[in-house]
Amino acid sequence: MRKQDAFSRYHPVVNFLFFLCAIAFGVVIQHPAYMLAGCLGAALYYVLLKRSKGLKTLLGMLPVAVVLTCINPLFNTRGAHVLFTLFGRPYTLEALFYGMIIAGMFLVMMLWFGCYNEVLTSDKFTSLFGNLIPSLSLLLVMVLRLIPNFMRKTKQIIGARNCIGKGANDQNTRKEKVSDGMTILSALTDWALEGSVVTADSMRARGYGTAKRSSFQLYTMTTADWVLLVLIVALSACVIFAGGTSATFTPELEISHISWGFFAYCILLLIPTALQIKEAITWHILRSNI
Amino acid sequence: MAHFEIKHLTFSYASSNQKNSLQDVSLTIEKGSYVVVCGKSGSGKTTLLRHLKTVLTPHGVRSGEILFGGTPLCEVSQRDQSSKIGFVMQNPDDQIVTDKVWHELAFGLESLGCDQKTMRLRVAEMASYFGIQGWFHRDVAELSGGQKQLLNLASIMAMQPEVLILDEPTSQLDPIAASDFLNTVRKINLELGTTIIITEHRLEDIYHAADKVVVMEHGKMVANDTPRQVGALLYRQNSEMFAALPAPVRIFYQSNASGQCPLTVREGRSWLTSTFEAKAPTVTEPVIPPVKEPTGAPALRLKEAWFRYEKDTPDVLQGVSFEVPAGQLFAIVGGNGAGKSTTLKAVCGICKPYRGKVEIFGKPLGKYKSGELFQNCLSMLPQDPKSLFVKKTVREDLEEMTKDEKKAAQAAELCEITELLDSHPYDLSGGEQQRAALAKVLLTEPKLLLLDEPTKGLDSFFKQKFAKILKKLQGEGITIVMVSHDVEFCAEYADLVSMFFDGQILTTDTPHRFFGSNSFYTTASNRMSRCVFRNAVTAGDVVSLYQKNMEARA
Repeated sequence: MRKQDAFSRYHPVVNFLFFLCAIAFGVVIQHPAYMLAGCLGAALYYVLLKRSKGLKTLLGMLPVAVVLTCINPLFNTRGAHVLFTLFGRPYTLEALFYGMIIAGMFLVMMLWFGCYNEVLTSDKFTSLFGNLIPSLSLLLVMVLRLIPNFMRKTKQIIGARNCIGKGANDQNTRKEKVSDGMTILSALTDWALEGSVVTADSMRARGYGTAKRSSFQLYTMTTADWVLLVLIVALSACVIFAGGTSATFTPELEISHISWGFFAYCILLLIPTALQIKEAITWHILRSNI
Repeated sequence: MAHFEIKHLTFSYASSNQKNSLQDVSLTIEKGSYVVVCGKSGSGKTTLLRHLKTVLTPHGVRSGEILFGGTPLCEVSQRDQSSKIGFVMQNPDDQIVTDKVWHELAFGLESLGCDQKTMRLRVAEMASYFGIQGWFHRDVAELSGGQKQLLNLASIMAMQPEVLILDEPTSQLDPIAASDFLNTVRKINLELGTTIIITEHRLEDIYHAADKVVVMEHGKMVANDTPRQVGALLYRQNSEMFAALPAPVRIFYQSNASGQCPLTVREGRSWLTSTFEAKAPTVTEPVIPPVKEPTGAPALRLKEAWFRYEKDTPDVLQGVSFEVPAGQLFAIVGGNGAGKSTTLKAVCGICKPYRGKVEIFGKPLGKYKSGELFQNCLSMLPQDPKSLFVKKTVREDLEEMTKDEKKAAQAAELCEITELLDSHPYDLSGGEQQRAALAKVLLTEPKLLLLDEPTKGLDSFFKQKFAKILKKLQGEGITIVMVSHDVEFCAEYADLVSMFFDGQILTTDTPHRFFGSNSFYTTASNRMSRCVFRNAVTAGDVVSLYQKNMEARA
């Protein structure tokens, strides 16, 4: 089984709620301090999750962020401080700041979604909704299974045809290639239909549709899950109600003073990282005690 | 008390022009019994089994009655039927509904609307019983065929059925996974008392364990008795099904021996030992026809080929070297994942060895221009014949390969599929599909034919037919290289057998010498007779040795 980090081991509801809050705040709040904290928090967890691979992706994102920053003033010319004029249009400091915020938003989104993909695997996601809408989640699960199956069968058909000299060939004209593709597609459809008849039989044989479906819960809420859930809700509430998050950039810079809500936000962002570090320390102590 | 009672069941498919698929079948199945249903493909086995569960019953005209525990089956509620009657089908892949192992185990219970507590317990129970804990969280796609079929079985057992019906459950599995699976089924019968009704081609593993063997032929039940009685009956009737029986039974009856018929290798051994205990056999080795020394250039030559799929994965081929003399039927046997199929891919040029040489008819593979290799030279029949069918009828599929109708007709005739030309390829049985695919492959007019597991899922009757076709092709000068798990088939029909292990070809020899010197990886006939005879590899060898010795005594 795949190695999991401390936060991934919590209940999917907790995972989902955290990402919901982190991404929502990251996109909605444009205050530079919050944005910086969001970027750092996300980057830290992302690198912890994906190690050197994550670092590479992160470094790859930075130039994109710089480009995003520089591009904004080209379209948005409002602002009091003109740095220079380009193509007869003013390039303003305020617009540049706003560009930074947009780039930050991009970074926060990309990083959090990257983490989300690692933490909330498909089965966790479906189990989130399994209880609410069992039949819909079953449909989702079946589709998830269907797609890789289709890919595998395509490969198999192409491989088999290659070995009887019916494969892709440099001498084939475009028309031949298209018709060959259509042949494979129609064969795949036949195959899938054939398979789905068996699947339907197998489902009915196991009582599908004879009663209201229930849903097997692989994950149960433990005390630790509840504690973390309450913590996330409380911190988010602080961020929302403490205020001090407003910021406008153009035409004039107007950034409010940060309130204690900012600290709540920082704590919220650091939850997964802190859990990871806490676990590392616990294990270190445990091991040295042996 | 009878679990199932079938009374005068007659059935015909709506589309089959009044030809009955089941003809007056009457059968009583006792609680807790183990019933094996056997018969050629198309003899009505599957149709019969599908009648034992209403949701799977095919549409058509039917008369007669089926009672389940005393009540007519159609009056038993769907809910009761789904939990009490478990049904395992042939294809391991298509039966699976969800994407995770744990979810699949819980699927049936979810459908019945079980509560969390019961569900958790039942799933845990089944996972432990079947040894699934280790892969409980895995993706279904990562499992091997054997694991998938075991999962199908476990997910049905989670519903705690009283009857378990299995329709050729191991036809898609390799022999080791298959016998594991069948042992588990046997264990369920012995430990849980579940009634088992099973159809199988591989009778070797289950025949001796059966309480009752039912033989079907053209929709009629021709035998219904204990394994020993059925063996005797089939021999007396000179039935086609006799060839499907386990080797000890076949050898016993063909030798015209008297006494109690052995059902297992162990019983066969003690029968042979006691027969020759007083007087040792005079002839102990079969007459082996002298091996013709191959002449001319080899059709295929691999020299120290190395290959791996990814840069940082282990080597699959680790210096494979072998030569296939022209005109021979060359078989490669060996365990799962040893690299046998990869070797064939390397020959086809789909996998390019990073070191070593592949020569086809003396010419390095790289020197063949694209397209040239597969015209009149080399062709491969894939493991799943379905992957070759792309059209709506077999005829169109053959015509895709050649414009020449006469050639297509010839190939169809050679593979004995002329009557099937207008059917949809998917409507054919496994054996028919295999032959149709072979016909398609032959239309490239290969001189070197590669076969990947050609006997997988074929019944003994189709195997004989398939072997005949291979011999015919050999007669036309085609060299055949076959990768197979089917030890019995290779022993009977191959000219040379190679053992593949750990990325290498270890030895190559004639079947007699190859299987004669192995003690585990060999045929049932050899394992049974090695206590008295040497190098007797096929059932025919043992029979002729037995008879010779008996004549010498008389």
